[in-house]
Amino acid sequence: MNNISSSIPKIDHLEKANGSAIYVCDYDTDDMLHGRLLRSSIAKGIVRNVRIPELPDGYFYVDSTDIPGKNQVHMIQDDTPVFTNDVQFIGEPIGMLVGPDLKKVGSLLSETQVEYENLAPVFDARGSEDIFFDFNIEKGDVEAAFAHADRIIEGSFETGLQEHIYLETNGMIGKFQDGKMIIHGSLQCPYYVHGALVDATALTHENVIVKQDVTGGGFGGKEDFPSALACQVAIAAFKADGKSVRVVFEREEDIIATSKRHPSYCDYKLSVKDGKVTGMVSDIIVDAGAYTTMSMVVLQRATIGSSGVYNIENIKVRGRAPKTNTVPNGAFRGFGGPQVFFAIEMMMTHVAKELGVDSAEFKLKHIVQQGDLTSTSGKYHFPVPLKQMAAKVLKESDYFKKQKQYKNQTGRYRKGIGFSLVFHGAGFTGNGERDIIKAVAHLKKLKDGRVEILTANTDMGQGLATTFTKIVSKTLDLPPEKIIFSLPDTSRVPNSGPTVASRSIMVVGELLRRAAIRLKDEWIEGEEQLIEQRYEHPSFMIAFDAVNFKGDAYPTYSWQATVVETTIDTLTGGISIDNVWGSFDVGTPIDESIVIGQMEGGIIQSLGYAIMEKCTIYNGAINNKKLCDYIIPTAPDFPNMNVYLYVDEYPEGPFGAKGAGEMSHVGGAPAVLDAIQNALGTKLSKIPFMPEDVLDILREEKLDD
Amino acid sequence: MVKNLLPETLEDALTIYFGQPELVPYSGGTDIMVGSSCEDKNFLFINRIPELKQIRLDNEFIRFGSACTFTEVIENDLTPTILKEACKKIAAPAIRNVGTIGGNIANGSAKADSALIFMVTNSLLRLQAHGSERILPLRDFYIGRSKTAIKQGELISEILMPKQNLDNYYYEKVGARKALSISRVSFAAILDVSDDIIRNCATAFGAVSDVILRPSEIDNMLIGKSIKEAKAIKSTYIATLDKAIVPRSGRVSIEFRKDVCMNLISDFLESNGI
Amino acid sequence: MIDIIKFNLNDKEISYTGSASARLLDFLRDEKKMTGTKCGCKEGECGACCVIIDGKTVNSCLVAMGSIHGASIITIEGYSKTERFETLSKAFESVSAIQCGFCMPGMLLSSECILDGNPKPSETIVREGLSGNLCRCTGYNSIVKAVLKASEKGGGLW
Repeated sequence: MNNISSSIPKIDHLEKANGSAIYVCDYDTDDMLHGRLLRSSIAKGIVRNVRIPELPDGYFYVDSTDIPGKNQVHMIQDDTPVFTNDVQFIGEPIGMLVGPDLKKVGSLLSETQVEYENLAPVFDARGSEDIFFDFNIEKGDVEAAFAHADRIIEGSFETGLQEHIYLETNGMIGKFQDGKMIIHGSLQCPYYVHGALVDATALTHENVIVKQDVTGGGFGGKEDFPSALACQVAIAAFKADGKSVRVVFEREEDIIATSKRHPSYCDYKLSVKDGKVTGMVSDIIVDAGAYTTMSMVVLQRATIGSSGVYNIENIKVRGRAPKTNTVPNGAFRGFGGPQVFFAIEMMMTHVAKELGVDSAEFKLKHIVQQGDLTSTSGKYHFPVPLKQMAAKVLKESDYFKKQKQYKNQTGRYRKGIGFSLVFHGAGFTGNGERDIIKAVAHLKKLKDGRVEILTANTDMGQGLATTFTKIVSKTLDLPPEKIIFSLPDTSRVPNSGPTVASRSIMVVGELLRRAAIRLKDEWIEGEEQLIEQRYEHPSFMIAFDAVNFKGDAYPTYSWQATVVETTIDTLTGGISIDNVWGSFDVGTPIDESIVIGQMEGGIIQSLGYAIMEKCTIYNGAINNKKLCDYIIPTAPDFPNMNVYLYVDEYPEGPFGAKGAGEMSHVGGAPAVLDAIQNALGTKLSKIPFMPEDVLDILREEKLDD
Repeated sequence: MVKNLLPETLEDALTIYFGQPELVPYSGGTDIMVGSSCEDKNFLFINRIPELKQIRLDNEFIRFGSACTFTEVIENDLTPTILKEACKKIAAPAIRNVGTIGGNIANGSAKADSALIFMVTNSLLRLQAHGSERILPLRDFYIGRSKTAIKQGELISEILMPKQNLDNYYYEKVGARKALSISRVSFAAILDVSDDIIRNCATAFGAVSDVILRPSEIDNMLIGKSIKEAKAIKSTYIATLDKAIVPRSGRVSIEFRKDVCMNLISDFLESNGI
Repeated sequence: MIDIIKFNLNDKEISYTGSASARLLDFLRDEKKMTGTKCGCKEGECGACCVIIDGKTVNSCLVAMGSIHGASIITIEGYSKTERFETLSKAFESVSAIQCGFCMPGMLLSSECILDGNPKPSETIVREGLSGNLCRCTGYNSIVKAVLKASEKGGGLW
């Protein structure tokens, strides 16, 4: 391996190819007990009575009365109960039935009756008076900007729910033996689960052990949610006489009961003076659902990102996360970014249209530069290569020519081309790494000269086992075979933080690189050595004030420029994606194939989010709860993705790497909606945008004729 | 436990079914195995009965054995292109390899993609029971939402597609994605013109209403007409269809279904110079 | 009449006397402990449970045991011992086409069926052939690339 970016075989390739990798659903269940959750059938109310049928020997029921510790799932704020008596959404866990035969457990569950005292639920986020979080940003003088404006242009934008559809549903196995609670399963963040278990079980830190099993996709869906499931399984495990209790969701249960991407409602007002945007007022609402879970952080990112990649000197942003009586919305790749970047990107095209100028050129005229202030009056410390990246995709796609050519088409098929510019702030927002996470990584050198990576970070498919191995192997000048990466086990690994926020390579990867340099210096042949590396906050960062939203929200940013070309079938409303061109700057790719896979995977999720994945809730109940109703892209849907990697090295990241995993989910949706705007000659402002919406527009067009 | 559920001939199958009418015929399984209750059902497996797996030609019909899988139908040289095309749009290979045309009809769904083609071609069903059989036009088989005219003890043994000129057809399936999709609207039409006279005009609309719509009385308006004459009555024809097509809402709206149907019928006519 | 359901599983003769209505998927995973075949939905939508029955890819979640009498079944456990698997797996490895891996046993068996039916498939044929196997990680590009690469390198194997 000469260059860190040159791809190597993924270290978990073979076991996943030949089916021998053991996911949580694959453990032999012959000696296990199966649990199924009793879930509420109403959206809001008090549980008055649970009538369980007579249970055969070996079967038992647990609920909130069985919790030795707190009936709270520790996340950020601890409002999610382990088992509820005060129902806040349809599908909320009330208790768990457990027994040796899964089918029998299921039939007992269907005979179980719950009596409720019904209360009035709230489903409309915009009408909710219960606001979990309310954040405000002010920069410059918005009043003055608006007072002196030539024009003030308004726009409102909506985005829908998105379900993760990791191919492997959530699952957890727990066992209580010899005073220790051992939980393993499909999860992104072992120490999040660990922290939640300590609170719920009232056991000591040492007596709670969390291990990750091979995890079949996460995308954020296994960030906050597994903490709840782990607590529920643990409470059951206390009563299982040393047997393992296993809960693996069927697909429908996973869709009904686990977190989704927050729907959003964004209102924008932009002031324009001499053809330039001088001020922005935005009002961001993300629907939190019934509990806070990750909403605070999602809203932070949404609020901070609401001015997009543009240098707007005067801004006033309000972001709110109201409560509704629906399944809690939580972490999902992009974390608030896909919502607000959709809004600001569409807004910029609408303003350009109003001004009668080309939208791509209009956007490029406004992009931030190195040294500019961020929305939170921090600084873009490093070069912003968006101009070069945009030039690449605009040229490759022949954007300007096509964009003009596709105006005013007639005939059955109409083509369109669209363009977007986005960023993703790498790592935790604000001082999170320094004040909350305080990551620690270990490298353990064995006597035989092999080196083991000890971190809490997980590979859920994104390739971390391979990229971490490469970082250590390259730094130590050892072949990858000499590096050991095992699935994290909290009894063996230090808390290097969660695998979220596009932080793992940039932050923990760098700790490993530094540890490896030290190990190389201190290397003693034939001896066991342990190197501990602790997080150091980059000294260039302007401290973040999380109350007033001032300072550096992120040390650096990843950048993306995207062009999407579509064909609209005016007879059926069908939207085809013909081509995608994406330029991505994620710093140095630690493995080119892996990074390209991340970019392609993110784009397709983003395109699905925009034009395919519709998930609606009626009276608190999810309508699209099967894979034939919640539609994700298949292999023939979005071919012809052209990915270009632009490298602007980040000096504080390992080999120049910065955050990669999430951003690719941000840029696709605004680009495809812009393309549809181009094809239909109209302004669009909501996703998902479906064939029905195409025909609605064409119907209006006919009426206008 | 499995005794008597695996007949090897059609005769055996009909005899068993006569004695145990509570059995659920299992052909491809791709519909009835969805959902957890299937494991408690008792199936009569008819998926390996040779008589039900043949595709052959006689003087009047192309005869499709009901247990032919979509893949087998696609791969058979006797299958007209319109049917191949519709079968290729069904789900994905793994479903097409076991799902059968008989099952596609028997489940009574208005979304059934192969059934749409059998409807537009005025195909007939051969229904066999122990000691009896009858031939029923497919159109009469559908009597309501998921309701069919099948009688106790009856199996669909063959689908009889009348021989006709199917060279000039129009077919469109509107699904939620390019593959693996359930029809949200489907439309098939046949136009046979010779010597400037419309010899046959047939349309069928799937996934719109409780049953597949086959407005043959309306289509008859165009039969026997020249293209020019057809053009003259086009607006009446379309208006009559417009009234006859009453969509129900489901995964998509009523307006969407209606628009797509009317758009496609117009395109079908225009593409034929009408 | 048939009393015992007999079939061939990965080159071994199996006599099955359980319920004819049970799912092949459950038989493989729970009874035979062949957990390479995954369950992603139990509704025939995701393809994670694909196995090869008589040379064709099938969703094992929608197969009742009674329907496989006389059939020949290959699961990933059997297929992974073949030279074709070696070639296909290497091709997937070369473009890092496997991310979370949950869809992969089914994806590889569907790939095998594509190549078996058409040793030199076009990209369109590959995409169509994989259309019943959902993958949420990759965006499919790398998988398609891998199948085409296997076709190129697999000289004579298919």
